[in-house]
Amino acid sequence: MPTVRLRDASEYPEAARKLFELSSLWFNYDFAQPPAMSRVMAWDGEFGGPHGRAMKRAMGPGEFTRGEKEMVAAVVSGVNACSY
Amino acid sequence: MQDDALWYEAAQLVGITNALNVIADGLGPLGAAFPAVASDAGETGPGALLGEIAAFYEAAEAPLAFRLLAHDPAYAAEVWAATRRAFSDNRLSRRLKESLAFAVSLTSRSAFGTAFHLREMRRLGVGERGVMEIIGVTQMFSSYTKIADTLQLEPDMEHIAPVDHSPAPGGSATPAPRERGAAQVKGTSRAKISKGDRRVASRASRISASPSPAPAARSAPKKPV
Repeated sequence: MPTVRLRDASEYPEAARKLFELSSLWFNYDFAQPPAMSRVMAWDGEFGGPHGRAMKRAMGPGEFTRGEKEMVAAVVSGVNACSY
Repeated sequence: MQDDALWYEAAQLVGITNALNVIADGLGPLGAAFPAVASDAGETGPGALLGEIAAFYEAAEAPLAFRLLAHDPAYAAEVWAATRRAFSDNRLSRRLKESLAFAVSLTSRSAFGTAFHLREMRRLGVGERGVMEIIGVTQMFSSYTKIADTLQLEPDMEHIAPVDHSPAPGGSATPAPRERGAAQVKGTSRAKISKGDRRVASRASRISASPSPAPAARSAPKKPV
């Protein structure tokens, strides 16, 4: 169980809810509620904003495709033994 | 990245990369207490094996991990066979595999693996931009994973990726499990049925649920990738 209560999207301010829509676009998936990580990162926009932009820059296509980078991210998550 | 075969390859790569790093980082610093076998240790036995390995990497000598293992040539040969299989072009390209191994090594703080696979990436044509891309992804997901663990977040994107119903290599195909979908078929749309046939997404996909991503098409890369 998470150590914090994850707020529903409706409990976030309008600016954050617009960012949740971008999460759906990123995954091309219509979530009933934004993913937990989206809601965590939206808690503090001054942290989540730049962190998310850094992620976006890192994950965008370049010498490697988005798919290849997703695989890199998956193995990093595995090595970090992250169950999320 | 929807075919399971790609992920099996990646998993093999992660495993053998870690295995080699453990040997090189753990035994290498021991020096005289556990010396590496010389690359020119005869034309048969360890020498021949080390020569074959060096040729694979277009290097003057085999990587340290193999020179340490070569005290038991038969064992080293089996480890090498698995390594060669894991790192050769297959469904995933050798270029991507070396990049994955670099990310694994960087994440696990392997001095040997980080330096070795960085060199291999560059040798296989990855430019400085590409290197920085892998570093960026590695760092970002070393952040997301720790945030997720600190808050003990539970997986919540189980339905985002499709299930691969293809058989194991050489095996027989079995029908897709209709029973599971059947319950969802009743009174539901085709889209809902499709959702019911999805599975857990990659950890990467789940964790990268940042609130400010850029829209991007989610399409499967061409093979090999």
